[in-house]
Amino acid sequence: MAEPVEELERRIERLRSAVRHAVTTGDRATARTLRAELRRAEDAWEEALDDLADQAPAAPLPPRQRAVPGLLPLREQVHTALSLLSVPAAPRLVVQVHHAFFGEDVPSAKLTSLRRDEERSFRSAPFARPYYLCAALTADRLAPARGLLAVSTWPLEHRIVGPLSPRVDFLTAAVRVAEHAERLSKVDGGVARLLWMFGANIPGAASGIGTAAPAAVIRAARAELDSHTGVDRSHRTAAAARARAHLDDVGQLFGTQLRAVRSRTGT
Amino acid sequence: MQNAPVTSTEAHLDRLRGDVAPVNHNARTIAALTGNPGCRRRAVLDAAGVDKKAMSVHIGHPVPFGQSTFAITRGNAFEAQVKANGCAELLTMLRERLGLDIAEVAYNDLEEAGGNGSREVRHALARRMIDGAAAGVEGAGTLFDHPLLGLPIGGRTVYLEPDLIAFQVGAQFHIIEIKSFPVIDGQADGGKVAAAAVQSAVYVLALRRLFEELGHDPQRVSHNVILVCPENFSNRPVATLLDVRRQLTVLKRQLSRLRRVDELLATLDPGLTFDLGVRDGTATRPAGEVVAALGEVEARYSPDCLDMCELSYFCRAEARGTTHALGRTVREELGGIEFVDTALRLAEGRLAPTVELAETAHALRTALRMRTECLS
Repeated sequence: MAEPVEELERRIERLRSAVRHAVTTGDRATARTLRAELRRAEDAWEEALDDLADQAPAAPLPPRQRAVPGLLPLREQVHTALSLLSVPAAPRLVVQVHHAFFGEDVPSAKLTSLRRDEERSFRSAPFARPYYLCAALTADRLAPARGLLAVSTWPLEHRIVGPLSPRVDFLTAAVRVAEHAERLSKVDGGVARLLWMFGANIPGAASGIGTAAPAAVIRAARAELDSHTGVDRSHRTAAAARARAHLDDVGQLFGTQLRAVRSRTGT
Repeated sequence: MQNAPVTSTEAHLDRLRGDVAPVNHNARTIAALTGNPGCRRRAVLDAAGVDKKAMSVHIGHPVPFGQSTFAITRGNAFEAQVKANGCAELLTMLRERLGLDIAEVAYNDLEEAGGNGSREVRHALARRMIDGAAAGVEGAGTLFDHPLLGLPIGGRTVYLEPDLIAFQVGAQFHIIEIKSFPVIDGQADGGKVAAAAVQSAVYVLALRRLFEELGHDPQRVSHNVILVCPENFSNRPVATLLDVRRQLTVLKRQLSRLRRVDELLATLDPGLTFDLGVRDGTATRPAGEVVAALGEVEARYSPDCLDMCELSYFCRAEARGTTHALGRTVREELGGIEFVDTALRLAEGRLAPTVELAETAHALRTALRMRTECLS
């Protein structure tokens, strides 16, 4: 049975003066027992304090400082960030975007196995989930592109990565991030850093050292996109047509692997 | 018959190495070859692909050698940063520094060939992509991530796992080397830049060779490599052009020397071998025999060896007491005097100098006199 904290505090006070009295009168045996009792009382006080802390209503933390894993499952966090970007993205960018816009840390170490888990899930029960986190496919060999995550509900063309696609996807992501930032009432540190990361690497997007206005990023990214999209789209369409013609559902979502021919032509 | 004539250089090298797989060269070891060109021991052991590290452990002179794991992690993280988001940071730098055209953004990942990471497949893919780019095929690409190049070293093709991207500005191909040591106020550590330059030169050479094989003009591979390093104390990358013509000349001479390894082999006892007699992962041959075998091939130790050769501790112990163990400067100053002891005796006047050594002896005596004056 736990004593109320106030009662404990009064008892600790009494014990302290008793210990002091015993020490000054030279009664060592009493002092030792009293000290042990004092320690027990202090421990009980610490415990009672912890209980109080648990019962108290949690003060809402400002969202930016809440660097804790979110309540959503990992795949939904990734899906949210990817949907915002609308292009295949590396885990690092997914983490950055999610942190900047939703204030939650995605545990990046778990992202490495995510695609494999999703593939296993899809193979055991195809299309059982509304979406899967899948691979982007390389345009030349329709193999899974290294280190990119995509969403299965996107058109196949969006998930193809040709030679120009890394740049096109980067610029498209920049436009999407900037559009999203424009809708925010206040652009804070995380979003500003993200904007600067995009703006610094697009000609004419940065308005100064460390700052990039959303409107400027959108304008500059669209200007550069104009010179790449035509060729890129033709690559993507051709590769997507090939993928549809030759690959099954699993292949279209998770890519094919190049295998050694020798194993099949052996005698 | 034990002294049967060796049919070919290759067979002789195999015999020297013994019954183990050869240790492959990489850009670092090829670069190290240029460090001490006069060392016959290193030339022979490297040509034969002997595992020098295992040997140094076996004969009791292990070297705490190799790259620090922290350095490797840092290097990989910086490289990943520069290449992140479709090489966004790299493109920005190239546009600013080299005037790369806005349209030139095509990126080809050659680190894997459709999930197949075998060297032959990757090399074939890199060949095909670079051939296409050199022939000017439309949209063949600007950036090539980790192309696998081949370079014949001592009669074997060595695959170079380059930490770089070859890239095209106009009609010129450049090697890009990403290094994680900082450039502070436009200055970087001289030793590290020199090492990076030699390594890049190895890549330039390999790429030029590939161009020759494919029938393109090798001069289209620029001798200016692009070195990407963090700027000042930040993580921001900065690109610098590095002229590697000098390193290329040195490398070419070294590699031609390697090809003449048969001349070196001709001077050796045909029965000589550096086989450690490895059985189940442990070396069984007596260490004394290995040391004796090493003694058959002359080494040229200098303190620089400590940075780049696995056998350096052994050679240093062997060279103790000689003047060249004190470094190149000392060796040149004391030309003609092989041992430290001789130098000391000359200085103290306990040994009458010959005519050739009169000048050196005079200098030594002066040095000793000045030292005594300073200390008294």
